Amino acid sequence: MSGQSGELERTLGFVEAMTLGGGTMIGAGIFILPGIAAETAGPASSISYALAGFVALLAALSLSELATGMPIAGGSYHYVNRALGGLFGAIVGWGMWTGLMFASAFYMIGFGQYLVEPIPFLDGRIFIVALGLVGLALLLGVNYYGTEESSAFQNVTIGTETAIILVFVAVGVFFIDPGNLEPFAPFGPAGIVATTGIVFISFLGFEIIATVAGEIKNPSRVIPLSMILSVVLVTLLYVLVMLVSTGVVPFESLGDSPIPVSDVAVVYLGPAGVVAIVFAAIIAAISSSNSSILAASRVIYAMGRDGVVTDWFNVNHPRFYTPHRAIAATGGVTTLLILAGLQVDTIIALLAEAASFSFLVAYSLVHVSLVVFRRADPEDYDPSFTLPKPLYPAVPILGVVSSVVVVSQMATVVVVIGTGIVAFGVAWYLTYTRGRVVSEGLLREAIYGPPAEPFRVVVPVANPATQRGLLQLAAASAHTNEDRGTPEVVAVNVTPVDNPSALVNLEADRADHQRTLLENAHDIATKMDVTLRTRAVVASNVGEAILDVIEEEAADEVILGWDGTLDDGDDHVFGPVVDPVVRQCRCDISLVNLESDTIGVPVAFVAPGANAPVVAHQAVEFASVDDTVPTLLNVQTPRHEHDFDAEERGRAVIADAAEAAGLDPSEYDTQVVVDDDVGRAVVEAASEYDTVCVGLSGRADGAKIPYGAVTERVVHDVPGNVALIRGSRAELE
Amino acid sequence: MVRIGELTILVPFDVSEPAPPELDVLEELGAVEVVLLGYFPVPDQAEPALVRDQHGSEAAGQLAALADQYGAVDDVLVFTHDREATIDRIADEYDSSTVLTTGRSAGTGRVLVPLRGDVNLDRILGVVADLLLAGDETVTLFHSVGEDTDPSQGELLLMGAVDRLAEYGVDRDRVDWQVSQDSDPVADIVDLGATYDLVVLGETEPSLRERIIGDRLSTIVDALDVPALIVRNVE
Repeated sequence: MSGQSGELERTLGFVEAMTLGGGTMIGAGIFILPGIAAETAGPASSISYALAGFVALLAALSLSELATGMPIAGGSYHYVNRALGGLFGAIVGWGMWTGLMFASAFYMIGFGQYLVEPIPFLDGRIFIVALGLVGLALLLGVNYYGTEESSAFQNVTIGTETAIILVFVAVGVFFIDPGNLEPFAPFGPAGIVATTGIVFISFLGFEIIATVAGEIKNPSRVIPLSMILSVVLVTLLYVLVMLVSTGVVPFESLGDSPIPVSDVAVVYLGPAGVVAIVFAAIIAAISSSNSSILAASRVIYAMGRDGVVTDWFNVNHPRFYTPHRAIAATGGVTTLLILAGLQVDTIIALLAEAASFSFLVAYSLVHVSLVVFRRADPEDYDPSFTLPKPLYPAVPILGVVSSVVVVSQMATVVVVIGTGIVAFGVAWYLTYTRGRVVSEGLLREAIYGPPAEPFRVVVPVANPATQRGLLQLAAASAHTNEDRGTPEVVAVNVTPVDNPSALVNLEADRADHQRTLLENAHDIATKMDVTLRTRAVVASNVGEAILDVIEEEAADEVILGWDGTLDDGDDHVFGPVVDPVVRQCRCDISLVNLESDTIGVPVAFVAPGANAPVVAHQAVEFASVDDTVPTLLNVQTPRHEHDFDAEERGRAVIADAAEAAGLDPSEYDTQVVVDDDVGRAVVEAASEYDTVCVGLSGRADGAKIPYGAVTERVVHDVPGNVALIRGSRAELE
Repeated sequence: MVRIGELTILVPFDVSEPAPPELDVLEELGAVEVVLLGYFPVPDQAEPALVRDQHGSEAAGQLAALADQYGAVDDVLVFTHDREATIDRIADEYDSSTVLTTGRSAGTGRVLVPLRGDVNLDRILGVVADLLLAGDETVTLFHSVGEDTDPSQGELLLMGAVDRLAEYGVDRDRVDWQVSQDSDPVADIVDLGATYDLVVLGETEPSLRERIIGDRLSTIVDALDVPALIVRNVE
């Protein structure tokens, strides 16, 4: 039978991931931005692209490790939210969502420019915006109504545009006029860095690989490979495109062109080349914008999943199964951004830079998140791709520094817009998210180290006479297991009531009894130097109530008092309260009958089996009450008349069990008895000790709890304290 | 040589459809093992986890009810962008050589088996033998030779196939055969198939032409009202 809710298919292989990532990157950015880049950095704008690629590569490296550690939808937003908590989650989530919309609007205006510019008699601006809106409407329609298996089409378009760009570069290098490349950097290093901020948007594609990480086949290999490879290849291509563009056309005239690549191509590829470039630019804008809309809806989905935004966004269309509300919201804001192009002259540069700003902020937080994950090392974080030694911590540190440097060189208006978006994220967190979501992130753990899991011993108390002894044993167990976590004892008392109801008052004396019992427990615990919590429960079924507490507390061990009788009648083995606990409890359980006041030197009967290490360890735990060394006992039956090896065999059994329990040979004494009658031998040997520990069968699925002949004789015939011990189910099964 | 029937049939169907699929043919098939695959097609734009969160339990319920009704040995629910990839993966996982499409059948136990030639022939006949040994259907082997070809060529192929089935231990009375000389084998199979309860088809590697114009197999499957059992090309 399959899982209740069904599995998800991972359908994206390496090629699909590359086309998704590379396809978003190759294209839109490089067709639209070279003009602006050349204007602000001259021929050195190729260096700006290389720098932007380097910053992107750093982010891709950090993201790769995070994405293989947590391959589910959401990308950067998801990692930051997990690592740094809801505040930064909101900042990055809103930043990414708006950044993707800025990018979409940017692509669609570029799309309009490439369509309109070749036609001289049209009044550019209105037509550009109108065409951009038409293109956006088409994309939104496709996304709203849903398409299936467009990947084959996607592969063809991306292959085509890549081929056209490659021809552009391959032919173009022969037409570079070295004179055009002089001076190489007319606006100095500041111009180069400022341009890096504008062109960074060209490298958004690899992020899309991370946002669909949940659908990638063999994620541990494909995610890092496709992210890093796509960034590196695209960077090389962009640097070449920029060198060719500024080498063929002087950067001053390139800077005036809204369709720079086409203007370069006309020089050496003729009208056919221009048609090809226009075609490539148009499909590039469409595929990049489509990926951005897709990624935007994933980000909103992930934010809704984590409760950062309302899950109103996270509803599928009843017929098309697309996230129609997320898509409609994305489309609405993108439309406004495109319309802003009617009023704002520099809309293209503004949109590109604003998108870059959002993503640079997101990536710096991603780098911080990587450090947080490494330091906090949560249990479920086990990335299959980890940055090797010199790259970590070099990559995150360099990543944050370079992002800050690039952001610092951006235009004031962009910094204002970007800061506004961050401020909106903060305000959103304060007014909406906080209070709804309890996740705090891993920051605390990263600073103080992973929190110690408590080692919890649950001890039900009911009888004032045995209470002290049981608490003593529980405290000893807790202390002995300090290496497994902060020791904590939970004392629980259940007052049985036939029909528990908030409306019925407990009889006063029963409530008093419970209170006295738990108060005494506190006094005892204080003397024994152990953290004790008490729980008072009122329930109709005592056994069930104890089980509930064991579950809730995620107890590691239960110490349960019992009157030392085995009832072979039809109903119960240990008694009506104890039986259900023994039958269903999943952690280590010790059933203790305290006959004598001292624990003294315990003896543990060790027989081969899964239970033996638990029994041996428990004896060591009990021994610590009186600071003694327990004896591990094994009984061998002679196989032959003169069996000299029997004692050897017994020692081996004990040594094995002790080793499995993680005991040091100095922590126990060994005793082997050779006798035909195991039961008699155990009883005789055990009678010399104050406390005897015996295993209890792990099989408890039947109506009766099996306990075995040896156990039975120990219970009947040993005068001292008897503890029946069973390991957790997980160990025994 | 007598075959021992170890036929596992994968039955994929779209769980997002409101009406349960027509699977009455399963009751006619005798002692074959059935694995139900409920796939939920997720459009490219949607996040599969989101669709699962919203429709998972409902779909699982529908699937489990069908599995109970038809005594399926197992059932799987998958949310996928790519139906074909999912069917292939699950078929491989269950080592299932055949995939059954859903459709209405009259239920008299008549099976049509169009044979193309040597392509996939052994595997198709093996599956047909398994079917016949597990249940009590009768089968018609069919071959279309084309207008200008000598029909005896097709007869030879079909008689050889009948012999092969007999070798597997199938009673000759349950097998007959038919040769067609029409120009359009696809239309033949679709027309003829309508009078049967089940059509067994062999999957072939799509040729370049089929990749572009459309797979001939899917044309037939789409045109058929009765269910088709597709013998996978697993090499």
